[in-house]
Amino acid sequence: MVSISSLIAILAYAIALCGITPLFPWLEIVPRSAVVIGLAAGIWQDRTRAWPVKNWMFNAAVVPVFLFYAAQFSRAQPIQPVVSILAIMLAVRLAGPKSGRYYLQSAALSLFCLASSSLFNLSPVFLLYLTVMLVLVAVLMVLLTFYSQDSGMSLPPGDYRKVLAAGLLMPVVSLPLLVLFFPLLPRTPLPLWNFMVVPTTRSAGFGDSVEPGRSQSIGESRVLAFRAEMPRQSQSQLYWRGAVFSKPKGTSWERSAAPAEEVMYPRRLVTQTIYPEPGSSRALLALDAPGRISLTRSKRSPDGTYEWLGPAGRRLTYSAGSVVTGILPTRGGIDRDFYLKLPEKLSPRIRELAGTIRSQAPSDAGRLEKLELFFRNGGFSYSRQGLPTGEHALELFLFESRQGHCEFFASSFALLLRSAGVPSRVVGGYLGGEYNDLGGYYLVIEDMAHAWVEAYIEGKGWVRIDPSSFAANAGTVWGGAHAQSPMLRLRLMLDSLDHSWNRMVITYDSDRQVEAALNAGRRFQGIKVSGFLSAAIPYLLLLFLVAGISAMFVFRSRIFISREERLLRRFYRQIEREYDLPVQRGKQGLFEIVAASGNPGVRAFVDIYAGAVYRDRKLTDDEYEQLLLIMRQKFRETPS
Amino acid sequence: MTKTHNHTAITDILGVLSRDHLQGKEEVLRLSLIALLTGGHILIEDLPGLGKTTIALALAAATGLSFGRVQCTSDLLPSDITGLSVFNREEGRFIFVPGPVFSNIVLLDEINRAMPRTQSAMLEAMEERRVTVEGVTHHLPDPFIVFATQNPSDQSGTFPLPESQLDRFLICTGIGYPPEHLEKMIIAGGGIREKIVNIAAISTTGDILSARRIVGHDVFLSEKVVSYIHAIVAATRCHSMIQTGLSTRAAISLAQAARASAFLEGRDFVAPEDVKRIAQAVCAHRLVMRSEHENVDRGGVLRAIVATIPLPLV
Repeated sequence: MVSISSLIAILAYAIALCGITPLFPWLEIVPRSAVVIGLAAGIWQDRTRAWPVKNWMFNAAVVPVFLFYAAQFSRAQPIQPVVSILAIMLAVRLAGPKSGRYYLQSAALSLFCLASSSLFNLSPVFLLYLTVMLVLVAVLMVLLTFYSQDSGMSLPPGDYRKVLAAGLLMPVVSLPLLVLFFPLLPRTPLPLWNFMVVPTTRSAGFGDSVEPGRSQSIGESRVLAFRAEMPRQSQSQLYWRGAVFSKPKGTSWERSAAPAEEVMYPRRLVTQTIYPEPGSSRALLALDAPGRISLTRSKRSPDGTYEWLGPAGRRLTYSAGSVVTGILPTRGGIDRDFYLKLPEKLSPRIRELAGTIRSQAPSDAGRLEKLELFFRNGGFSYSRQGLPTGEHALELFLFESRQGHCEFFASSFALLLRSAGVPSRVVGGYLGGEYNDLGGYYLVIEDMAHAWVEAYIEGKGWVRIDPSSFAANAGTVWGGAHAQSPMLRLRLMLDSLDHSWNRMVITYDSDRQVEAALNAGRRFQGIKVSGFLSAAIPYLLLLFLVAGISAMFVFRSRIFISREERLLRRFYRQIEREYDLPVQRGKQGLFEIVAASGNPGVRAFVDIYAGAVYRDRKLTDDEYEQLLLIMRQKFRETPS
Repeated sequence: MTKTHNHTAITDILGVLSRDHLQGKEEVLRLSLIALLTGGHILIEDLPGLGKTTIALALAAATGLSFGRVQCTSDLLPSDITGLSVFNREEGRFIFVPGPVFSNIVLLDEINRAMPRTQSAMLEAMEERRVTVEGVTHHLPDPFIVFATQNPSDQSGTFPLPESQLDRFLICTGIGYPPEHLEKMIIAGGGIREKIVNIAAISTTGDILSARRIVGHDVFLSEKVVSYIHAIVAATRCHSMIQTGLSTRAAISLAQAARASAFLEGRDFVAPEDVKRIAQAVCAHRLVMRSEHENVDRGGVLRAIVATIPLPLV
């Protein structure tokens, strides 16, 4: 038999672990080490059963720490001091001597720690931690009630099973209610869960400028960029447009305000719902090229990109409609001068190459073709290592090393086009995506960040050209369809879980609630039934109603217990409480109970009660009142 | 229920007898009174010397009823019980001399010693409450109760009562040894047979008859209790150890006895506990066990059956 006190100690540590683990990665070094030391000290002292430091000493020691963190609190940094003090207080409670009160405190602090971890990250794992913690806390509470009676108590295994069942029952009962109430309860326009979430900055991938030649190599990043819910598309069409860079500066390209132009989008667009991961970038991504993005506080720029104007770092959801042909026709012309601007310093070798192309073909289309030929036959290869750097990076790439990543290809291609007199711009975004069949969405990671070029061809419009595809090894780098390994499939499965969590829980706001309600309404109205059936529906409903009512009538004694039964149950409970007599329900007659208790109050009750029941009549209201009065007076106190 | 004069008269018999004269015999006295109040008869199965006769005598004295005793032997003739016509020389005609059966309380000692023919005549009288001698029917007095006794351990030269005749006894019970302190008191005080004769009558025949009417008509038997009785009877009919379960007559007897028991408790309705309390005394002797379970204690089997049936409480 395990004694209650050791079980409570184990539970308390488990609860503390459950609360602190999700918060741990976000803690600063001091509270982090305090938690580790506190936990270790607590367990060690529990084993040796010696508590050299008293709780009042700990409490006194916490006061300056509290003041220190209170001073650090500011509007700019509201969360870190709070979680730090929470973690330190938990550590202190774990390290100090324990009694029922301190166990309760440590459980409460653990719960706060778990709750505050949701300010940093709210993933489905949080729900798991919360469920486990609720079960453990419930069990702890039950055990603590025993513990407060007698700290040395130990229970037989059967009783532990009962305690565990009671602990499990509470979450098991509340979870279905949670599932029911979550979609129904009124929502705020902004997802509440997101309210305090600290913006996380994403690294690598898609940035705010295209700068080839920054470093010798770029690493791989498997971090999720966004998800796009849509039917499967042809893999070669998966260009996700993010930003347009139209201002060359040295070897790099930057963003700038685009001159007005009118793009003609076709009527039919490919629709998709995008779920970007929160990050510092404000570009709203969509399949190239988006004709519409429905999100309040977003702005379209004339170069066909969209921007989010709200606060950064928020988890967003929007739907977009895209034209996927790769050509954007314009009404009227474009500002050719703007798209022909060249950097001040342009390498003479590039100028020379552009001059050759310009002289070889008179039209923009012809020049584009010539340049394509140059890239195709030039023996370029795509690489992430051994990249040229510095001021002359593009020149080195074009004429010496001939290897680089998409930014090299796109920047140099656009630069050559402009030098040759063809209006062009660099487009940044993502290429490709892993289709998740389970969730029906494309998974795009930061590693898929890409840059390509758009050239303006008179009569056609903006034409998408991906210079990276001219690389000799392009086929192996973006090697079409590859078999999905079991690991990848598992990852996709987990990802779809994460996605549905974000979709259903994190970004669930009033808009989505209204949308869900409207959808449900439409679906209900959309049910087409034949004439006979629709005429029969009211009768069927009536039939169901009648059947339900008669079933209730037939089983009324099971559904509604009678007044007598209620009284009797209460009588039994009171007898058991007052006399400590276990009543054998159904086996012990009422008069036998009278004899066993030998009490006039019990006799008075039974005389009235049995007098009605065994005369085959219901209790009258007077009798009922009288019985209640007898019970309220307590049998023991009834004068004989 | 308001305690009527009748009720007090009857319960006084129980109180006075068990307090002053027959210590430790309260249960048997109760059962005897129940038999008296329902018009049934009682069979007491126990060893000699435990006070069977004393109880019958005491009851007769306390109720003021007449008492007759028959000691059964194998040569006892029916006419020894019923009485016979003798020629009266002075009047020059036969006159009927009533036998001991023409008393209110008849003690049939060691009934299993009488030969079947005599047993049968006696049991017929018990059932019919009249005796026909030489073509003339004589009604037995009312109230009429037979105290039959038999010695279960003494088997040689006896004629055990067949099941059909056992069924005629409302109640069959034992007496048992008195508790230690009471037995010591009885040893010290000596037998009380002589004192019993001096017990003053507590009630009258009228009291008993009117109490009997109340038991028969005024004590309420609810549907719930009827169902409970039926459940007990039905359960005995499908029990694995029992060959023949309880008859409908047994069920009627159970209901009547339960009414009388409720009356003695001072209630005007039957509670399931009344049934439970007298079930063994009323029913056990009527069970016919399968041959392989012939020696099983019937009372125990019946108690077990009753325990499985839930009491109606709502």
